[in-house]
Amino acid sequence: MTDEARQVDILQGTLSMMILRVLGPGPANGYEIARAIERRSDELLQIEHGSLYPALRRLEARGFIEAEWRVSKTNRQARYYKLTEAGRQQAVVEHSRWCSLAEAITRVMRPA
Amino acid sequence: MQKRWRAWFRRADGLPEEMEFHFQALKEERLALGDSEPEAERYARMRLGNASAITETVRETSPRDRLERAARHVRLALRTVGRHKRAYLPATGILALGIGMSVAMFSLVDAVLLRPLPFPDQDSVEVIWKVDPRAGKYVEELAYPELGDLQQRIRDFQSVAVMPTSLYGYSRVLQSGVREPVQIEGTPVSHDFFRVLGVRPVLGRDFTSADEHPGAAPVAILSDRTWRTYLGADPHIAGRMIRLSGVGVTVIGVMAPGVEFPRGAGLWFPLGVDQNVIEHRTATFLQAIGRVQPHVSHARIASEVDRLIRALAVEHPEAYPPAQRAVVTPLVQYWTGSSRPHLWILLGASVLLLAASILSASNLILSHVLACRTEIATRLALGTRRGQLLAQFGAEGAVTAALAVLGGLAFAHAAIRFLVQWAPAGIPRLTAAELNLKSFCFAAGAAALATLACTLVSAWSAMQVDLEAALREGAARTSLSRGGLRTRNLFIAAQTAVTVILLAMAGFFVLSYRAMISSGIGFAHRDALSVNLALHGSGLFGTHSVSAADRRLFYATLLQRLRETPGITSAAAVLVRPLEGAIGWERRYEFEFEGGRDKDRELPKANFEAITPDYFRTVGTPLVEGRDFDAHDTEQSAPVAIISENLARAIRASGHAPVGHRLRMSWHSVDDWLTIVGVCGTAHYRSAAEESRDIFVPTLQSVGTNYLVIRGRQSPSELAAIVRQTLAGLDPEQAVAGIATIGELIDADTARCKFNMILLLWFGVCAAILAATGIYSAISEALAARRREIAIRMALGAPRARLAGDMMLRPLGAVLLGELAGIPATVWLATVASELLYRVTPRDPAVLGAVALFVFGVSLGAGLWPAWCALNGEAAAPLHTA
Repeated sequence: MTDEARQVDILQGTLSMMILRVLGPGPANGYEIARAIERRSDELLQIEHGSLYPALRRLEARGFIEAEWRVSKTNRQARYYKLTEAGRQQAVVEHSRWCSLAEAITRVMRPA
Repeated sequence: MQKRWRAWFRRADGLPEEMEFHFQALKEERLALGDSEPEAERYARMRLGNASAITETVRETSPRDRLERAARHVRLALRTVGRHKRAYLPATGILALGIGMSVAMFSLVDAVLLRPLPFPDQDSVEVIWKVDPRAGKYVEELAYPELGDLQQRIRDFQSVAVMPTSLYGYSRVLQSGVREPVQIEGTPVSHDFFRVLGVRPVLGRDFTSADEHPGAAPVAILSDRTWRTYLGADPHIAGRMIRLSGVGVTVIGVMAPGVEFPRGAGLWFPLGVDQNVIEHRTATFLQAIGRVQPHVSHARIASEVDRLIRALAVEHPEAYPPAQRAVVTPLVQYWTGSSRPHLWILLGASVLLLAASILSASNLILSHVLACRTEIATRLALGTRRGQLLAQFGAEGAVTAALAVLGGLAFAHAAIRFLVQWAPAGIPRLTAAELNLKSFCFAAGAAALATLACTLVSAWSAMQVDLEAALREGAARTSLSRGGLRTRNLFIAAQTAVTVILLAMAGFFVLSYRAMISSGIGFAHRDALSVNLALHGSGLFGTHSVSAADRRLFYATLLQRLRETPGITSAAAVLVRPLEGAIGWERRYEFEFEGGRDKDRELPKANFEAITPDYFRTVGTPLVEGRDFDAHDTEQSAPVAIISENLARAIRASGHAPVGHRLRMSWHSVDDWLTIVGVCGTAHYRSAAEESRDIFVPTLQSVGTNYLVIRGRQSPSELAAIVRQTLAGLDPEQAVAGIATIGELIDADTARCKFNMILLLWFGVCAAILAATGIYSAISEALAARRREIAIRMALGAPRARLAGDMMLRPLGAVLLGELAGIPATVWLATVASELLYRVTPRDPAVLGAVALFVFGVSLGAGLWPAWCALNGEAAAPLHTA
């Protein structure tokens, strides 16, 4: 496996976590998810919107989210994702894992 | 759940539409901010990324995509297989032939051997008889009191019943009054008979113990065939009266179709034993069948019965031989006894053919894969992963196997129908054979696995080539590696061995059959007609008995009238006609002769027949010494006998002239000697495959006769009409059965051998063709690999014959090796199956030599052809292209 692929993996891992978090309040389509992530990060994270989709489909296959076609606010057919019960639990698990990881890294990086 | 499964399996569904929405949303966002249309689209495209690449990423992680990739491999494989028709088409055909043939044979074996009876849970039914070890294989029959012993003293039996060991002489004549009377095979049975077999009448009721009491109203149960053929399938038959052999009998039931046990029985009636038989342990004429309790093993029941039989010998020393033992045989084995070795041989042959076809197909595929080595090397050099290449070859192998399986299915289906129609009559349950899916899966699985394994192994070994070397040689094929050559030669040797075995076994059967039909079976008059005329009420348990005197008088009058009929040259009667087949236990009678008495304590055995004068002249058995019986050999005159030549030889060996010598049957009292008045040619009385020792006595001095033999200038059908007419003139209530000429009896008896022979020949020829294909492809491959070398050597003036010899040395060496392995295997197999061979020894040098030569010749031809074509073709062509 190349280094590039590993980077993608890491990104995907966090991406999944963020998707689960963003979907917490209620269903959203791909565009809304991407925008929500960017908004919540105060536009610090500029993700490639397309890279959401492999993550979304993987989460759906694992049963963490469900999707259905609905009419969007702009009056077009869009695919809306919502958390399943398993997804809700997964969101909690990943969040706590992230917190400990972030804390650990922060400790490592603090000035000696 | 379904939704989730769908999400898992079809991950990329609707993705383009979803991304299109996203694209439009991003675009509208920018348009709202005042961007121009092209600017907005550029922005949206940039933020979203490469849509097709994303779709591809999603698709690759989806299981459906993996399937699609497999399908692509298969499509590619189909194309490759199509392109390499020359390699794959013969391989497919050969595999299909092998699968089809072996499955067809297995289906026959399964029908006849593995589920041969129409009875439920047939493995728990046992046949019980006895043996006296001192007298070798001599079979002891049971007496009626032993039924009670078995029922009461062995708890592991659910039910036990008895029937006579002898299965002839219990027929009945059915008189409907409307049509000609017919003779129907019947069997007297004790009342639990059908409970032991596990079947119940489909109409009416089963026997009860009351039916068996002396003086009970006569009743009978009919077989389905009898009911349909002669009673118009009358649904109200139960309780109705029919006339059987002049006696009114109430039909109490009709059995299910297919229940015709034993020996094609058409009706069953209660044993109806009289007081004499109930009490006497020496009145032995029965065999027992018993159904054991669930979960009781064969070994356990056998030892229990054996303990009982030994105990009885102690309790009743006056009735039983002290060393008597029980013989307990599963009913299935008893029923299919004689068909068994034949079917196993054919099954073995079909497995060998399957093996041969797998070998041959593997060989062709090996050639193909090795021929692709340059391609493999190129692709490897271009960076194709080995796994992918292997998968492609695997797919090619799988496609070949799948096509072969389909072809084999069709072939097996047709072959079974053909074989069943064509098989000799008398193999029980053969018509029940149908395509056996279990065996088909086995054969197809074996072939598919073998093909796949062979493809992968060859492909793997082909990949181990030195890339650079393979590429440097460019378009020219590299010659085979040492390992490849060894594998190839091993294939050829194995295939040759299989071919030798099949052809030699076929050869043995051909010789056996020829010996059987040509060497005097002992009956020269194939046109002599024989008919069964068991006078009604005959037999020990007739509901209406014909006295021995009546019977003699009847036969004498009938024979007299027949002899007086114009055109009839001779007519006689016999107890059981020649080659009648299994009629129950094959009883061989013990006897001793004066000269041999002191020397040989063990009594020899012989076939015992009662005949009338003129029997020998009618069937065409020569009288080589002495005289035939005549009208003077009566009850009042001195007892006489005629013996067969092989017995006469034994008497001569003891220093006596046979004619005038005396012999005594084992059941005769001490002074009851028979004087030998004649010696007849040795015949194969019981079975065409076996020379018998025969003792003939005049019927007037012994038991009655059951069969007529008659010969004349008329055709067999005219003779039969004359017999019927004469019989009707004497007693219109009599009927004949089993009309057959001696020739037909011989044909029927040798039919199985003939069937075997033809099938094995077929197998052998198929195997020879397969072997030839193997050699052909081996030589072609070797030639193709060495084209350049050959061209150069020819250009330098090497003689063609020498070149051809060089090419063929190794493959032919492998053929010789295969023959060396095949011949001992054949000898071993033929020794195991020697009871099926007649006048052929398993080491017969003529057969083995001829087969070895033939196989070698075929291989030589198959190799010479491509070699010669190549050497005479445009020999210089490869030099130009090089």
